[in-house]
Amino acid sequence: MPPFALSASSSSSPCGLQQNNKAESNIVTVDVGGQLFQTTKQTLSIAGPNSLFARVSEIPNSTTQFTAPFIDRDPELFSILLSLLRTGNLPSKAKAIDLQDLIFESQFYGIESLLVNSLSNPSQFEAFNLEKSKILSLNGRDSPSAIATTPFGSVHVVHGSKITSFDWSLRKKSTILTQFTAVDSLLAISPSVAAAGATDFSGLQILDLESGFVRETLNWENVTRSSSTVQAIGSSPECLFASFESGRRNSNSIMVYDLQTLYPITEIGHSEIYGAELDSAIPATKLNWVSGSNLLMASGSHSGPSGVLGNIKFWDIRSGNVVWELKEKIDCFSDVTVSDSLSTIFKVGVNSGEVFFADLRNIGSENPWVCLGDGRKMASGKKEGIGCKIECHGNQVFCSKGGNIELWSEVPMRSIKSTGDGSEERIFRKNIMGKVKDMGGSRITNLAFGGNKMCVTRKGQQNVEIWQSSIRGF
Amino acid sequence: MADEYSQPQSNHHQPNDRLRLNVGGKLFETTVATIRSGGPDSLLGALSNRLTYDQEPVFIDRDPEIFSVLLSLLRSNRLPSTASRFTKQELADEAVYYGIESHLKSAMSPPPFNGIDASIVNVIQPASDGFTSAFTAGDDGSIWIAHGGQISSYDWNLIHAGSIRTHLENITSIRRVYSEIAAVGSESAAGLHFYDFSNGRNIASIHWTDASDPRIYKAQVTAIADSSSTVFAAFDCPHNENSILAIDKTTLKIQSEFGRQRGSSAKNLVAGKLTWLPQTGVLVGSSVNCGAFGYSGYIRLWDPRSGDVVWDMNEPGSGRSGRFGDSFADVDVDTDELTMFKVCSKSGDLAMADLRNLSEDPWVYLQDKNPSLRNESRGGNSVIHCYRNQVFVGREGGLEVWTTLPNGKKGTEIENNNNGICEDLYRRNFVDKEEDSERGVIEKIEGGGDRLFVSRQNVEGIEVWESSNSSGPVSVL
Repeated sequence: MPPFALSASSSSSPCGLQQNNKAESNIVTVDVGGQLFQTTKQTLSIAGPNSLFARVSEIPNSTTQFTAPFIDRDPELFSILLSLLRTGNLPSKAKAIDLQDLIFESQFYGIESLLVNSLSNPSQFEAFNLEKSKILSLNGRDSPSAIATTPFGSVHVVHGSKITSFDWSLRKKSTILTQFTAVDSLLAISPSVAAAGATDFSGLQILDLESGFVRETLNWENVTRSSSTVQAIGSSPECLFASFESGRRNSNSIMVYDLQTLYPITEIGHSEIYGAELDSAIPATKLNWVSGSNLLMASGSHSGPSGVLGNIKFWDIRSGNVVWELKEKIDCFSDVTVSDSLSTIFKVGVNSGEVFFADLRNIGSENPWVCLGDGRKMASGKKEGIGCKIECHGNQVFCSKGGNIELWSEVPMRSIKSTGDGSEERIFRKNIMGKVKDMGGSRITNLAFGGNKMCVTRKGQQNVEIWQSSIRGF
Repeated sequence: MADEYSQPQSNHHQPNDRLRLNVGGKLFETTVATIRSGGPDSLLGALSNRLTYDQEPVFIDRDPEIFSVLLSLLRSNRLPSTASRFTKQELADEAVYYGIESHLKSAMSPPPFNGIDASIVNVIQPASDGFTSAFTAGDDGSIWIAHGGQISSYDWNLIHAGSIRTHLENITSIRRVYSEIAAVGSESAAGLHFYDFSNGRNIASIHWTDASDPRIYKAQVTAIADSSSTVFAAFDCPHNENSILAIDKTTLKIQSEFGRQRGSSAKNLVAGKLTWLPQTGVLVGSSVNCGAFGYSGYIRLWDPRSGDVVWDMNEPGSGRSGRFGDSFADVDVDTDELTMFKVCSKSGDLAMADLRNLSEDPWVYLQDKNPSLRNESRGGNSVIHCYRNQVFVGREGGLEVWTTLPNGKKGTEIENNNNGICEDLYRRNFVDKEEDSERGVIEKIEGGGDRLFVSRQNVEGIEVWESSNSSGPVSVL
């Protein structure tokens, strides 16, 4: 049944007379739940060809008798969505209405994407304006172990063997049970599909988060024919990367799959361990795609009697070669990330607990790290950096230390001082995020970014903190 | 497409016809199809046959704001957030007036109950004598609570629908045998009694007597179950004799007696729990007794037509049980899946048995590797309840759920070869949080509709657990 219809009456409304005079008029009149609205075809066309509005504006209004198309819906909600069509933003009167009603109504008219764009657009992310705004609690007693976000702000949280998904508006949630006892890495492929893996369970599972079904299990055939556990998952716009380790922990590899079809494309960095060479025994535990240079950054570390050792490798997917390898022997990273827009790698040193950066433009140099703090702590045995997380989003770097988050940003300077080796000096400054009341707390275990928000999980807390900027806060 | 907008000239109404209503002075415009979706018997459905757009809008002398909520409900099949301005009672009353209560019911009911994602939403507190002695849940999420000799009824919306006083001082078992009739029994007074909720009257009382044995008198009821035609009640006579009576549901007269036994050993005690299996026509009874030397009890299956015991198990049994000395603390039957679950008193382990394939030792012990639950298995005060293909276990104050894995094998397909231990069949999770478990020892768990009801020892009221699709964000700005 079409949800709108013409009136069967002959009653003429006052504006109908004007309408008749201009047969080629651009103005469209709609009757929503008994209230008349006038707008232009251009405005309605913003809704897209599949929306209900496109069908409304197609109705010829040159009939002899004035009849506005009737839509049997709530006029108040319609007026807000019409404002959204006109301006791209929600009017302030929308604040009196529950967002859930607007989402449902926009789905009816087929314009939910406009609502998402106006409320959870990644371009609205403002690092300096983030404040702790919401707590999403999780049922049960398990604390979150991994978190994944989509670009428009859907959030998936793993707690115990369950994955709870929140929609982009964070108003709706659903929970599924997985076959894992605990999930260690999670990557959102779409708002309803995620890739999940664990360090104690064989195979990378592609999960449908609405039904809980396993769409596909991707496995790596290792030589020992033992199980293959997942150490890290990453993605580029076209590919899905998974770092596997054999169950006997004597071989590891990075598999590259097509993100759409999930067919394996290639295998890179396959290493078997026979001798005492420890370095090759370290599987990659973090995979970052560097789209600016089409490289995959794979990093892994190992804690042994002589301290923490690690390596950071940049892989060219097409040739399967390592373009650059950084061996971490002194003050190895406790976490490392790469920023495309700054073309810089950032790490937290496990001993010093300080943030370091290395410019991707001087690829291949021996010791590229520049310490952004007290470099003398590098040799300290205190291991201040244990458990620190570092992530890049936009032009900023977020580094958690204990219960606090440091926000690092580059200050663009006009006068460029040259350092000894000819490269320009770069200035990074930090701020501690949040108000005084938000600081401290349990150790931060995960940081994730999506839409205009940042998600934070903490040790022993069965919830997700949402940090949002409040400019157009709904 | 064009004919949808052409104007029908016939006398009868097209579903796309528009109509206008004047509710309490406010004009509403909608379509016949929307109004008719309330059903032909509703007030609105009846009005739609008489109205045309041309005539003056029909005046309905009701509150326009609630009507706009209900109109939104008819238009979109969901309640708008403006519904929160009104109490559930107001909405329900108004929906009854317009005859669209079933619409409201489906829009207000919680989503399917999912033990891995449930939270406590409410505690039902009877006004007086709030310590619950027994309760029974209905399929629509309603509940009847027995407390202090009264029965209080709460409807699908958990609104207090009424209370009646019975002649019993302490009701220890209750069963809703018809929508308005409760069967109640007490462990301190004799007989099974039927109460009609609509008028609060006792309509029948059943006593167990034996013409050939005058010692059978003053027998108390310990458990009640019912099938579509019969009520079953376990009677216990003070001189250590017990039996099960089958009572015809229409005449409320005794049909037959079976399972009679005497003696005071654990395997001869009266059943404390009865469950009817509609698929197989078998009655399951169990008795658990906790003494100084631990738990003991039996599980027994009867065919009520012949009165014969179909299957029977005692614990602690002879040495044939795989887990000698680890007797069960509670047992429950999943009537849909035809499986039986027991929780062990010492180890706290959960075991499953297939009712279609009962052998001498049918138990498969379920294990879960969830690291956060590793040291949480203890026996003792445990209760177990199967609902919607999930198994809920209350251990002291903690509430946990065992759920089948999404792509896992069905319980009945598992072969009992691995020393009776099975790992990847069920996943165990806590339903509650740490602080929930501190409210008291869980006494009884029962599911009804999309709710789970939990009562605790020496705690007033009954907890209501529901799943929700709403994330319930808490603002901390």
